[in-house]
Amino acid sequence: MEYFLSEEQKIIKKLAKRISDEYVSKVAIKYDKEGIFPRDILDLLAYTELTGVYIPKEYGGFGGGVMEMCLVVEELSRNCAGVAVSYAATALGVYPIILYGKEEQKRKYLPKIAKGELIAAFALTEADAGSDVSSIKTTAEKKGDYYILNGSKHWITNGGEADVYVVFAVTDKSKGPRGISAFIVERGYEGFYCGKKEDKMGIRASSTTELIFEDCKVHKENLLGREGTGFIIAMKTFDRTRPGVAAMAVGIAQGAYEHAVRYAKERVQFGQPLSSFQAIQHMLADMYINIEAARAMLYSTCRMIDSGAKDFSKESSACKVFASDVAMKVTTDAVQMLGGNGYVKDYPVEKMMRDAKVTQIFEGANQIQRNIIASEIIKEY
Amino acid sequence: MKILVCIKQVVDPEKVEYNAQTKTIKRNAQHLMNNPADLSALEFALRIKDVYKDVHITTLSMGPAECESKIKELIEVGCDSCVLLSDKRLAGSDAYSTAYALAKAIEKLGNFDLILCGESSLDGETSIVPPQIAEYLNIPHIAFASNIKVLDLQRIEVERKSKNLLFKFEVKLPALISVKKDRAFLRLPKLSLMIKALSYTPQILSLDDLENFDFDKVGTEGSKTLVDEFVEQKLEEVKCEIYEGLEAAQIDCIADLVMRFL
Repeated sequence: MEYFLSEEQKIIKKLAKRISDEYVSKVAIKYDKEGIFPRDILDLLAYTELTGVYIPKEYGGFGGGVMEMCLVVEELSRNCAGVAVSYAATALGVYPIILYGKEEQKRKYLPKIAKGELIAAFALTEADAGSDVSSIKTTAEKKGDYYILNGSKHWITNGGEADVYVVFAVTDKSKGPRGISAFIVERGYEGFYCGKKEDKMGIRASSTTELIFEDCKVHKENLLGREGTGFIIAMKTFDRTRPGVAAMAVGIAQGAYEHAVRYAKERVQFGQPLSSFQAIQHMLADMYINIEAARAMLYSTCRMIDSGAKDFSKESSACKVFASDVAMKVTTDAVQMLGGNGYVKDYPVEKMMRDAKVTQIFEGANQIQRNIIASEIIKEY
Repeated sequence: MKILVCIKQVVDPEKVEYNAQTKTIKRNAQHLMNNPADLSALEFALRIKDVYKDVHITTLSMGPAECESKIKELIEVGCDSCVLLSDKRLAGSDAYSTAYALAKAIEKLGNFDLILCGESSLDGETSIVPPQIAEYLNIPHIAFASNIKVLDLQRIEVERKSKNLLFKFEVKLPALISVKKDRAFLRLPKLSLMIKALSYTPQILSLDDLENFDFDKVGTEGSKTLVDEFVEQKLEEVKCEIYEGLEAAQIDCIADLVMRFL
């Protein structure tokens, strides 16, 4: 389908596709099996300047927006969502700085992130605070020019690999969500450790760890925005990065669909290729319809966000929910179509089905997304 | 330092169509690709530019206007300027005519310190164009280089590997070196350069732009060799099976394969 991308956007997609097909596809199975962080692929993305597509020009980036970031994520996900999420997690970590960073914070971090010299991460979730963000327990107590962080974070993407972390902590417990603040914490700060690495079902090339803060001293210059604005920062960031999850889902679905089509044309049963059976044809048609619908919704949402619209929580959540459900359905159908070959690790659709599952879970489970959508709908009418 | 890289646009061998009557290959723009050996030469030029910042890389191609789309790809990896020698009077030129025309174009474009070419083109495979250009230009030439090292902007060191021998040459510039294919894989493009390439138009030269040009030396009439016959080679299909997985499973697969042929 023609989506009328700009010439620059077509180039970004083409370049990301080339890296995905020529490099990511070669390492996807190995990295998934052995849980290898794709630093070599991130280096390639840095060399080709794709790490800076969503960073403003004045800070050394390409000056694109959510759309440009999503085009890269989508193409990488066609071959390995684990690689794609390692790239996208930096965007999640850096958007709070783009949106709320002070000028000196932007100058310090954004150019290096644009060049791929630094990797970022976003540290909000805790053992008892997933969808219920306001229940985080990590504290940041102000002492002189420093905040002292104590607590732990769970399931942090790029944990242990990132150089810069945006960490959310409670600065005033009595204020509930308005008592949460965001801080920039660099790898190597005293009292900041990386904990257990998760052994995940999918996106196994990405690193997901626990983070531990034990009297970690963070200078007040590293406070993002004002004290108490952490919850807003997190929510506004998610509004911009949820389409990234949708892009990942569309890419996974597209990859599974391409494998399924090729397999259906090659695999012969009852003397004819699978693709000649109407039951298979309908499955392929449904895959196509769903993927294009998800992509259309994703691109529309990206355009809405990048156009400067003020409120897009509903649209952002809706495209994440729809695309992730599509990815789950398409990859499950692809496994079904490949039969026994789909259920073993010799073909990539088994991995894609495992990878698809997380898109329904992370950056806000689809259930909480439906709450957001419903709440916005009810406010509107 | 001024480097010129000669890059031919050839037809992708998997998509090649030829005209049996005219005994020429159809140059459909969609099926064109930059000759891989020439891209190997270009990568060497780019590596020199990585080290010496004051290096200007120009590429020179000869072919029909359709080649322009592929020439833009050379800007995407870091070439500074591209030139296309395009003239209908060049149609049907053999290696001798091509070398003459390219040498004349190089004379027109100016004094280059280093001229790099691929060892041969995928379609012609004569390997004689680079030495002939050097002869026309009256500069030293080394063929089938496997590595190039700039010593001091006036001298280069060229390596050539031949089975169990390694030759090392030191050459004064200007010189022409033809590079062995697959010695260096061309780097990926950069986003900013791809954007630059969008609006880039190569400089087009016609034969009328070249000085003291002998028109009798080019085209079908000026060529010393003529294609006698095109014979399509039917390649025997080689079936490749890849076994991945745990060692024990791979051994079982290979054992099954061996049993099939016993």
